[in-house]
Amino acid sequence: MRERPARAIKLNVLNEPKDNYKGGPSSLCPGCGHDQISNVIISAAWENGIPPERVAKMSGIGCSSKTPAYYLGQSHGFNTVHGRMPSVTTGAYAINKDLLYLGVSGDGDSASIGIGQLIHAIRRNMDMVYIVENNGVYGLTKGQYSATADVGSKKKKGKANETQPIDLCALAINLGCTFVARSFSGSKKQLNALLKAAMSHKGFALIDVISPCVTFNNNDESMRSYTYVKDNEVTLHMTDYIPHFEPMAEVEVPEGNFTDITLHDGSTIRLETISENHDPSDSMAALTALHEAEDEKKHVTGLLYFDATKPSLAEDLGIVDIPLLDVSDDVLRPPKEMLDSINAEFLSM
Amino acid sequence: MDTIANDFTINIATANGTGSQSANLILLQSLFDMGVPVSGKNLFPSNISGLPTWYIVRLSDRGYQAPGDRTHIQILVNKATWEEDLAALEPGSVVVWNMDSKMPVERDDIVSYPVPMTKLARSLNPKLSKLVTNIVYVGVLAELLGITDEALNKAVAGQFKGKTSAIELNINALELGRNYAKENFTKTDPYVVESRPIEKKRFFMEGNEAAALGCIFGGVQLLAWYPITPSSSLAEGIIAYIPRLRTNDEGEATCAVIQAEDELAAAGMVLGAGWAGGRGMTATSGPGISLMQEFIGLAYFAEIPSVFWDVNRVGPSTGLPTRTQQSDLAMLYEGSHGDTQHIVVIPGTVEECFEFGWRAFDYSERYQTPVFGLSDLDLGMNRWACEGFEYPDEPMDRGKTIREQDVFEAMENFGRYRDLDGDGIPYRTLPGSGMAPILYRGTGHNPDGVYSEKPHDYFDLMKRLKEKIDGSRDNLPAPILNENEEGEIGVIYYGSMENSIQEIDDLLEETGLKVSQCRVRALPLHSEVEAFIRRHKTTIVLEINRDAQLWGILRRELPNDIVGQVHSVAYSDGMPPRARIYSDLILKTIREVSQ
Repeated sequence: MRERPARAIKLNVLNEPKDNYKGGPSSLCPGCGHDQISNVIISAAWENGIPPERVAKMSGIGCSSKTPAYYLGQSHGFNTVHGRMPSVTTGAYAINKDLLYLGVSGDGDSASIGIGQLIHAIRRNMDMVYIVENNGVYGLTKGQYSATADVGSKKKKGKANETQPIDLCALAINLGCTFVARSFSGSKKQLNALLKAAMSHKGFALIDVISPCVTFNNNDESMRSYTYVKDNEVTLHMTDYIPHFEPMAEVEVPEGNFTDITLHDGSTIRLETISENHDPSDSMAALTALHEAEDEKKHVTGLLYFDATKPSLAEDLGIVDIPLLDVSDDVLRPPKEMLDSINAEFLSM
Repeated sequence: MDTIANDFTINIATANGTGSQSANLILLQSLFDMGVPVSGKNLFPSNISGLPTWYIVRLSDRGYQAPGDRTHIQILVNKATWEEDLAALEPGSVVVWNMDSKMPVERDDIVSYPVPMTKLARSLNPKLSKLVTNIVYVGVLAELLGITDEALNKAVAGQFKGKTSAIELNINALELGRNYAKENFTKTDPYVVESRPIEKKRFFMEGNEAAALGCIFGGVQLLAWYPITPSSSLAEGIIAYIPRLRTNDEGEATCAVIQAEDELAAAGMVLGAGWAGGRGMTATSGPGISLMQEFIGLAYFAEIPSVFWDVNRVGPSTGLPTRTQQSDLAMLYEGSHGDTQHIVVIPGTVEECFEFGWRAFDYSERYQTPVFGLSDLDLGMNRWACEGFEYPDEPMDRGKTIREQDVFEAMENFGRYRDLDGDGIPYRTLPGSGMAPILYRGTGHNPDGVYSEKPHDYFDLMKRLKEKIDGSRDNLPAPILNENEEGEIGVIYYGSMENSIQEIDDLLEETGLKVSQCRVRALPLHSEVEAFIRRHKTTIVLEINRDAQLWGILRRELPNDIVGQVHSVAYSDGMPPRARIYSDLILKTIREVSQ
């Protein structure tokens, strides 16, 4: 057994300290919701015992897409181009399907310039976690509305938004996305459980996280300010995550009703009923919950929809079991005899 | 009457989607099998069915493959272009025409062979008469020109591989046409086909299929593509060969294929594959490259291996989607915003489509940069005689990619973008390896890959990238030189112009002008190109575009003392290059230069 340091540092199942999951210092505005999400990513990956080198951090362009520099410093990452992170991730996945692809994106990336790529990654059930750090404004260009800004919501400067927003969760459910959740950067516990569950899911897992922009959209008239979201959050369930390496017995079983969902890696997401029961296998109920919340100017959070039955992209590709990256050159290049026989066939035609 | 053997052009005017393509290919293949040097050009519309199509078959004992100056034998089936096609014929030309179309042939200065093609076709198979009509004219031509049954039957069998009822129907239709001609016509034209001994066995192949095979032998691991004419058959060629060449006994492939939602996504997937350590590629045409520009810049700046095949069609914009041109060269060489420079390989033959198909991956991984294959519609979608493909003579070059922990640990001063060897090419580690992880980015970065806006970091990075790509020059396919010792004039050309150059050269020689030739096969330009220019008093750059794109690149890159001796002949009207147009322009340019 390896020697422990004098003052016991808490280690995860891989005997790794949490520090090994951290990244560089953030350059975002103090208080930014995105930094809260980065911290949850660090905690979730560490607690789940995910080897950092097996994670690929993917992002597009914008405030949110800068954050991969602030977590999982021992993971490779790719800060790609605006809105096109899904395609780069898809290509990387085709070559190395054994990595955990953790995509972080914003509402500009996902609801505007890259909405087509998001839609098609969902359509392929691309095996990845896709976090939208959704604040309703463009931050880096200094506070223009994005396509997710709520009707009637007003940012710090300018008029209230009157354009119908795109609800990425409703869009994803309609597209048959296999894991759809909404959360809030201020709801750490819920976000932590949802993120771990998303990492355990095989297929496309969308987590749309309301993440207030403290600089441009945290004023009283905004529907995406910390105060507004706290006061108007409708939570579907209390959410717990039980990792596959932890025996169920050690987890406190809640008294009321609860539903356990087994995820692809054997872990469990436990949904404890709050008031009325939401069945995450019911896409109509999920859409109803979203539309009701919108009508009441509320934000519904929790696991909206889940489907473990659809094949993910790897199965569709029909490729070998090992990652294509590990296929040796002499297998990738067919032998000379094959070319000789092709030449001979053409010449005899 | 004197006969003219194997030196004439047949123009077949039909409507798209009527099955004329298979009839025309049977005609082409049967001539090829008789040993006649022959080439076929398919001038097709951007349409599924109904619009005019022309197929030009040129027979030339001298091996000329460009479309000829004029039509000698016109097949008239399509009413829509009837009058136009007829009016364009020179006196003495031959017309084989469909009497049943009820269209007039009112010229007495031509040789007319009216054939009731539709009636004959209906007598054989009323349901398929439209298709059969095309085979009937091939039968008539066979009789008039002397194409053997043996060659025709073999071509039919090859076209309809194993489909016995189709083979039988076509052979009957050929016989019907042949018999009609035999019974009704006395030959009054001079054109005949003569068999030639076949010295070296060759076969017909489209450039796109050859490039596809090359990519397969280059170890492609991801094909991400979006359909676009004229590149789709390259992607589909790869897809067609995967089951046989890249699939194991369990039916699992070693090459993934994703039909992307658009060209942007296709390019993104190619970059993702290269970033992950694999060989990714796409096949597209000019409009697709336009959409991929942003990713091309990212691949250059973040140094991601990625292969892009551009089968050039006529631009700008949607342009003439089914016509040929060499107009994407400058866009490929300097693709994306900011200062960039890319490796472009330019095949001029089907054999080179195969060779550059596999080499492009080696260059891309060696130099950690996007590599473009530039073909065009003429080379990619028409059939060319091919002697067969040579197996790669060197193992796959995976570049400076560190895959083993002990190798990595033995390295000193590693940084993702640090030039340790003085060749501008850094080392890289791969995602998943745990070795020196970094966040790749399209933003400015220092040698360790960390974000930087420092002036010296940016300047040094751009300087190194320039040195890296410049350093590839003499490792890329060298130009093919054909030097004439007495010649003071040099001609530089590239790509599918290869198929017209012999005829251009002969036309120039008829006027007493002997020229040397240099076929450029890659950008950045090999040092041999400058040396070639220095050995000649005047050099002409010949290309199939309006803006003289290669000439522009040469003018910018050549030393000042020789820039003035390089001149341009650039011409494009959408047609494959017709030799006389270019030889006339060369002569005109030389006259102007010498004044």
